[in-house]
Amino acid sequence: MSQKDDWHLTEILDYEHGRGDPFAAAVRATRMAMVITDPSQPDNPIVFCNEAFQNLTGYDREEIVGRNCRFLQGDETDKASVSKIRAAIEAEESIHVDLLNYRKDGSTFWNALFLSPVRGASGDVQFFFASQLDVTDRVMAQETISAQKAAVDSEVKRRTADLEKALEAKTLLLHEVDHRVKNNLTMIGALLRLQVRSIDDADIRVKLETMMERIDALATVHRRLYQADDVTRFDVAAFAANLASDVIGASGRSNIRLKCDIEPIEVRSEHASALGLILNEVLTNAIKHGLRENRAGSISITATRDGDEAKLSIEDDGVGLIMDPATNGLGHALIKRLSPQSGTTVAWDRLPTGTRVTLHIPEMEHTS
Amino acid sequence: MTPPPAVFKALQVLIVEDEPLLAMDVEMMVEEAGHNVVGEAASLYDVEAMETELAPDLALVDMQLARGTNGLDVSKLIQDRWPSAVIVFVTANPKKIPEDFSGAHGVIAKPFSRSGFLSALNYLGEGIADPPPASTQPSSFVASPSVRDIWSARAQIDR
Repeated sequence: MSQKDDWHLTEILDYEHGRGDPFAAAVRATRMAMVITDPSQPDNPIVFCNEAFQNLTGYDREEIVGRNCRFLQGDETDKASVSKIRAAIEAEESIHVDLLNYRKDGSTFWNALFLSPVRGASGDVQFFFASQLDVTDRVMAQETISAQKAAVDSEVKRRTADLEKALEAKTLLLHEVDHRVKNNLTMIGALLRLQVRSIDDADIRVKLETMMERIDALATVHRRLYQADDVTRFDVAAFAANLASDVIGASGRSNIRLKCDIEPIEVRSEHASALGLILNEVLTNAIKHGLRENRAGSISITATRDGDEAKLSIEDDGVGLIMDPATNGLGHALIKRLSPQSGTTVAWDRLPTGTRVTLHIPEMEHTS
Repeated sequence: MTPPPAVFKALQVLIVEDEPLLAMDVEMMVEEAGHNVVGEAASLYDVEAMETELAPDLALVDMQLARGTNGLDVSKLIQDRWPSAVIVFVTANPKKIPEDFSGAHGVIAKPFSRSGFLSALNYLGEGIADPPPASTQPSSFVASPSVRDIWSARAQIDR
């Protein structure tokens, strides 16, 4: 081995494999590739390399010793990383950098290079010590991961854009449908009101008015739902109180007193229309029939909650008629057919004066 | 017939609504309640073309009007021309009304019921003839914040 003759720097490193200084022996035998360079010589050449370094790079010792480390660099080696190494050597500092290096056969590997100055007793830098670890697998894995991440990111971006576009289209459609529902309900109400006025036959007019009131109840339910903060629930107690005050207010009758003692009874909004219609039947019956022919009286609405069940009662002190089947056959049928949907039961009580109708309504489960 | 409320004044009402059926319906309900319709308009241009002597007490104004015009501009025009008129929006989109109502006084949301509309009209009639209104505010009508303040202040004085 000719380089042995060149090797005059230190006897410590001049031991044969496994002989003499155990530290030198360890450096020779380790699987970690290592070199030592001498900055006092021109171009800071390699003065020692171990077997692991030869195995890693594919060069023989004669081809390595005496050369500057840059022979491992190639076209794809990052220039900025090389500059950093140069700067560290000039500043006599340690550095750790991942670098793409080339083997003798032209193949590449990722080199986790650790380089640090070795100072003598005087404090001057005598050597640079460098270790090289092949981290190609790790770097490739990282590259694969970041490539996959980029692919996923762009896919997420694309899908998000698609969803946003779809949401925008749906929102637009919803606004359109919402507008049409409101307008159509308004128009249906207007048509019925206009028709009612032109009917001379009292019986037919009463029937049509009743129908108009039902449509109005639906319109009111719809309006209250869209104006509420939470469209999923509907307060039937507040609805009953407002419906009663509207009906009394619109009748222009000052001889009907309305007493309300209510706490909110919330049902799922899918039951709002059915319960709205039921309450419309009960209330108009109380006002139009219980307190008919301008009979003075009062309507009391009480709403209480008891556990999972709520009780809504509407009481009048009128003539004590329980829904006249002659004019209100459909009213009865509506109440009977619509109440089971929401699990509501309706009880009619004849009082000494007047009528009390009590609705037992299962309340929706409270989330808070 | 039913006895009129203690203080009743027949209002001069202006209807601004681009849907002819609805304008007809509102007109009939206004008259049914004992008030007079002094004019009907479908757009801002129709209101511009009206006589200044009209002097409505109450203007019922739809938000979305004919010929690309809207209720907010009509409201501004009415405030300029007839400063004493009470302006009430009648709209299916009450959320589009600015928070301060841009100088208007309230809103009746569509779809309204006959009884809801008449209650609102009664309430407004009381508020205009002898403020504050004697009856409680019906759910079919929402007063603007400034009107609410004025009426509650008057209610305090009266007490």
